[in-house]
Amino acid sequence: MVGPTASLSNLSRSDGSASYKCPATGYDVLGAVNAPIELPARRDALKPEEATVEVFVKPGNTTAGVGERHVEGILRNVLSKVVLGRERGFPRRGVVITLGIVGGETVDRGDSYLTILPALLHTSLLALLSAAVPLSMTFSATLMGVDKSGAIITDLSAADAKAAASLHVLAFTSKNHLLLNESEGRFDFDTWEQVRERALSICQDMTTPGPDGDVTMGEEADGSRPEGFVRETVEDRLYKDYSWKIDSI
Amino acid sequence: MSKEAPLSNAERDFILEALREDVRLDGRNPDQFRPLSVSFGDEYGHVKLQLGKTSLVVRISAEVTKPRDDRPFDGLFQINLELSAMGSPAWENGRSNDLEAYVTHVLDSVVRRSNALDTESLCILKGVSCWSIRADVHVLDYDGNLTDAACIAIMTGLQHFRRPDAVVRDGQVIVYGVEERVPVALNITHKPLSITFNSYNEGKSIILDATRKEEQASEGELVIGINNGGDVCFLSKFSGAPVDPMEMVTKSTVALEKVKEINAQMEKAMQTDLAKRAKVGMADLSRAENDR
Repeated sequence: MVGPTASLSNLSRSDGSASYKCPATGYDVLGAVNAPIELPARRDALKPEEATVEVFVKPGNTTAGVGERHVEGILRNVLSKVVLGRERGFPRRGVVITLGIVGGETVDRGDSYLTILPALLHTSLLALLSAAVPLSMTFSATLMGVDKSGAIITDLSAADAKAAASLHVLAFTSKNHLLLNESEGRFDFDTWEQVRERALSICQDMTTPGPDGDVTMGEEADGSRPEGFVRETVEDRLYKDYSWKIDSI
Repeated sequence: MSKEAPLSNAERDFILEALREDVRLDGRNPDQFRPLSVSFGDEYGHVKLQLGKTSLVVRISAEVTKPRDDRPFDGLFQINLELSAMGSPAWENGRSNDLEAYVTHVLDSVVRRSNALDTESLCILKGVSCWSIRADVHVLDYDGNLTDAACIAIMTGLQHFRRPDAVVRDGQVIVYGVEERVPVALNITHKPLSITFNSYNEGKSIILDATRKEEQASEGELVIGINNGGDVCFLSKFSGAPVDPMEMVTKSTVALEKVKEINAQMEKAMQTDLAKRAKVGMADLSRAENDR
């Protein structure tokens, strides 16, 4: 399996940005984060002690519709839990996340938005990291499908997703807690439990410190797992940004 | 924030004073564009354009729809530009601003209403079905002269785009997939581009391709839409200080020269890309080995 590709901070006007390409579905997402930013008045009235997270999804070649609004709601819920909105300088300000789908097929009106959700989640996480927004944890997400015979499929393409009996997007935090569960289609609870276990093993970071503080090394290369992938992308970027310092040592 | 951070007085005076001595902030000549680079995505009609620090992505898409009742022979063509917070923190998501309305108007006039894309060739079956072509402009970074950048990218995208082939058989419309039949290029009648000039110091200095800071210090704007043949299809002087009519004439000559230059550059970039695609496609088809 070819892993996803990503790069950080490729835009100059926004505070942080990331581009992310998912090989299985072919989606190419560009994310930009502006934070903390002054919001027009009245929008912070509900929770004055916290930052307001705003998400905007811009489809590639249609105008935004109901599907985008729905997925924006999901993303906003997840990300407002992750962003530390009470840090210094953040209350009453906005964290504005703009996600543009700049490549890949279009999600047609009425089609499931779950196929693109993991790509959107990863892009926003990387963009938030690039903008140095304080986060309580990182996370990783995956898309799983169950076909009509009950077999679990991973790395779904758009055609696979259409044929699947049910679709599941699960996101896990860096501590392996379930963060997001979005499912569509017909399935029973046992299936979901199997999907969850499989998703956890896909997402889970193989280099999380064990209970004794040791780092257990996985057999697989780090970059093939979403969690390790995020870590590696950020490490690469840091290495590039601080090359002046590293080289001088 | 819903306004671009304004220039300080000192900065404005500096720009104006420099222009009085024919010097620009980045050392360009008054009639010089910033470095322009273009790259193409995987699909047809996916153009990424970079003009100095302004960068944008244009995606062209096609779908079959019903033509409008009053124009049964015409296909549809639509240019869609939405400014999001990605391009500049001053733009609010989901809310249009003056710049958006202005740029959309210019693009609409220069590209769509000048009939650069022959909409009659988009008709499949009179009054029943036609192609609807849509150009989406995504602004990634805004550093001035959005109009010209978007115009170049849209025109390049339209020339690069290939729509699926469709035929009518016994009154039935059949659309062939990209694998079944070679997709067809759009019918472009002429290649107009918009060229924006900004005037300073009571119209004494007029420069081309202003950056964001130069735009903010500008006192008036002149937009000329002109094609390779020298036909002016759009000329506007919306607001700001007056410009000498003689200047408009001389500047249209400059614009013509620039349009020819840019069109040639875009043509070259596009041919290189299409040749590369053709090679890959041929190699794939003429492969003799089996997939094991």
